[in-house]
Amino acid sequence: MNERNERIHGVACTFRKVSDVFHAAEKVRDAGWKNWDVHTPFPIHGMDQAMGMPRSPVPRLTLLGGVTGFITGCLLTWYTNSYDYPLIVGGKPYWSVIFPFPVLYECTILFAAFGTFFGQFIFNRLPRHNHPLFELPNFSRVSDDTFMIVLEARDPQFHLDESRNFLQSLGGQEITVIRD
Amino acid sequence: MSSSSPHALTARWKKFLAAGVVAMAVLWYFACAGVAHHENRQALSILVGSLFWISVLIGMLMLTMITRVFDAGWAPIVRRNWELLIIALPVVIVLGVAPLAFSTSFRHALWDWTDAAHVLPSGHAVGHDPILQAKSWFLNEKFFLIRISLYVLVFGVLVTLLRRWSFAQDTDRTAGHTHRLHAVSAVGIPLSAVTLTMLAFDCLMALSYHWFSTMYGVWFFALSIRLALAVTVILTYKLSNGGWLDGLLNQAHRHVLGCLMLAFTVFWAYISFSQYFLIYTANIPEETFWYNIREFDPATGLKNQWWGVSMYMIFGFFLLPFLSLLFYRTKIVAGRLLTVAWIILIGGIVDLWFNALPRQVYDKSAPEGFVVTPFLTSSLVLDLLAIAGFGAIVIALFLRSASKQETIPVHDPRILESINYHE
Repeated sequence: MNERNERIHGVACTFRKVSDVFHAAEKVRDAGWKNWDVHTPFPIHGMDQAMGMPRSPVPRLTLLGGVTGFITGCLLTWYTNSYDYPLIVGGKPYWSVIFPFPVLYECTILFAAFGTFFGQFIFNRLPRHNHPLFELPNFSRVSDDTFMIVLEARDPQFHLDESRNFLQSLGGQEITVIRD
Repeated sequence: MSSSSPHALTARWKKFLAAGVVAMAVLWYFACAGVAHHENRQALSILVGSLFWISVLIGMLMLTMITRVFDAGWAPIVRRNWELLIIALPVVIVLGVAPLAFSTSFRHALWDWTDAAHVLPSGHAVGHDPILQAKSWFLNEKFFLIRISLYVLVFGVLVTLLRRWSFAQDTDRTAGHTHRLHAVSAVGIPLSAVTLTMLAFDCLMALSYHWFSTMYGVWFFALSIRLALAVTVILTYKLSNGGWLDGLLNQAHRHVLGCLMLAFTVFWAYISFSQYFLIYTANIPEETFWYNIREFDPATGLKNQWWGVSMYMIFGFFLLPFLSLLFYRTKIVAGRLLTVAWIILIGGIVDLWFNALPRQVYDKSAPEGFVVTPFLTSSLVLDLLAIAGFGAIVIALFLRSASKQETIPVHDPRILESINYHE
C-alpha cells in the first residue's frame, strides 16, 4: 500500500489525566483551532468553555419548527372547519383561536420536536456509518480510561509535523496520525 | 461570619418594620372608614396586598421543600434566603387575611356568602340561596374561621421546622439535619398543596361563591412559584451587589432560576388557559358568568375595562416573559433576567387584581340587575400601598433573621457544589 496517496484525517494524541486534557484543550482553543475535538469516557464539566465551543444552533430550528407547526395548525383547523366544510360545533364560531387551541399547541410541539430532532441530525452530520477515528487501534480506550484530542486536517492551521510537535508540547502521550 | 457591608444591610430591619407599621395603620384606617360606609374596596386592598406576599412566600416555601427532596446541588446558597424569608408567611396571614376573616363587619363586606341578609343580583337574599345551601358543609362561617386558623398553624409549623434544622446545621455540623429536612419536606409538599388550594378557595374563589373551578388551587400554586422566582431573582441580584451573595452568585445560578421561570411561565399559562378553555367549551352559566363579567358590560355587551386586563394577562404576563425567556442570553445576563423578573412581578399583581376585584354589585336600575366594579379606580394606589406595606414587614423579618443566622449555609453538605455550580 502506498501510504502517501492516502488522505490524512488528522493527528490524535492521548492524555491520562482530566486536568491534563482540560488545560491542553484550553491551549488548542487559544491557538485558534477550529476543526478539532476532545474525546473523553465521561462528561467533563467546563469542557465546553475550555474548548471555546459556541452555543448549539439547534434551538433556532426548534423555534422555526414551532412557528411552522402553529401556522400549520391554524391553517388545518381553518381549512377543515371554516372553509372547506363549515360546521357549527357546540355553538362556537367556525374558526377562532380558542377552540382549536389544543390542535394548535400540539402541532407547535410536534413540529418543534421535528425541528430539534432533524436539526441535531443536520448539525451532527448524521447518519454517518463509519469514521476514520474508529480505525485507531486504541480508540476504544477513550470510553474507558484515556482522554484524546484530535486535530483535524481540514483546519487551515493544520500542518502534519507542526501539529504533531504542538500536541507533544501540550504533554500528550501517544501521538498517532489518522488516515482516511 | 458577616462582613461589614451585609451587617449594615441587616441593621436596617427596624426602619422597614416602622415603614410597614405606618402602612398598616393607614390601610386599616381606610378599610375601617370604608366598611363604615358600606364599601369593601379598601378592605380588598388589604386582601390583595397580603395575598400578594402570601403567594410569594408560599412559592418560596414550596421551592425550599422541592429543592430539599430533590437534593438540588445548586440550591443551598439561594435556599438560605428563602429560609430567612418564609417566617413571614404565617405573620402576613395573621396581619392581613385573618383580621379580615375574623372581624364580622369585614367578613360580611368581603365574603358575600357569610352575610345572610346580603341581596343578590337576582333579588333574593344570600340566606335563601339554594346554591349556598348545597355548599354550606364547606362554606359556613365556623369552618371558614377554623380553616383560616389551620393555614396559620400548618404553614407556621412547617416554616419553623424547615428553619430550625437548617440553622442548627450551621453550628453543630450534623448531616442528620439534612435527612430530617428531607422527611419534613416530603410530608410538607402534599400538606402545603392541600393547604394552599384551600387558601386559594377561601380567599379568592369564595369572593364569588357561585363560581367554582377545581383548577383554582393549581393556578394559585403556579402563580405563587412564578412570583417567588421573580422575587428571588430580584433579591439575589441585590444581595450579589453589596450583600452576602457578593461574588457567590454566578451565571449558572441565574440560568437555573431563569429556566425555572420559563417552566412556570408555561405552566401558569397552561393552567390559566385550561381553566378558561374548559369553562368556554362546557358553556355552563354558573361558570361562564365569572369570565363574562371580566370581558363585557352585561347591559350593553360592550367590552369593559377587565377585557383590557385579560389581554394584558395574555400578552404582558405570558407571551412577553415566555418569548424573552426562550433565549439563552436572557437567562444568563443579569440585567435581562432582572427585567423579566419585574415584568412577572407586575403581571402577578395584575393577575391578583383580575381574580379578586371584579364583582357583581346589586343595582335595581341596571337591566341585568347588577353592575360590574370597574378596574381603574383610585383604590389601585391603596393596593400598591398594601403590597409595599406588607413587603416592608416581610423584608424587616427577613433582615432580622439574617442578622441572627448565617446568611450562607456554611455546613450544608452541598454548599461547595452550590457555590461552584456550573451549567
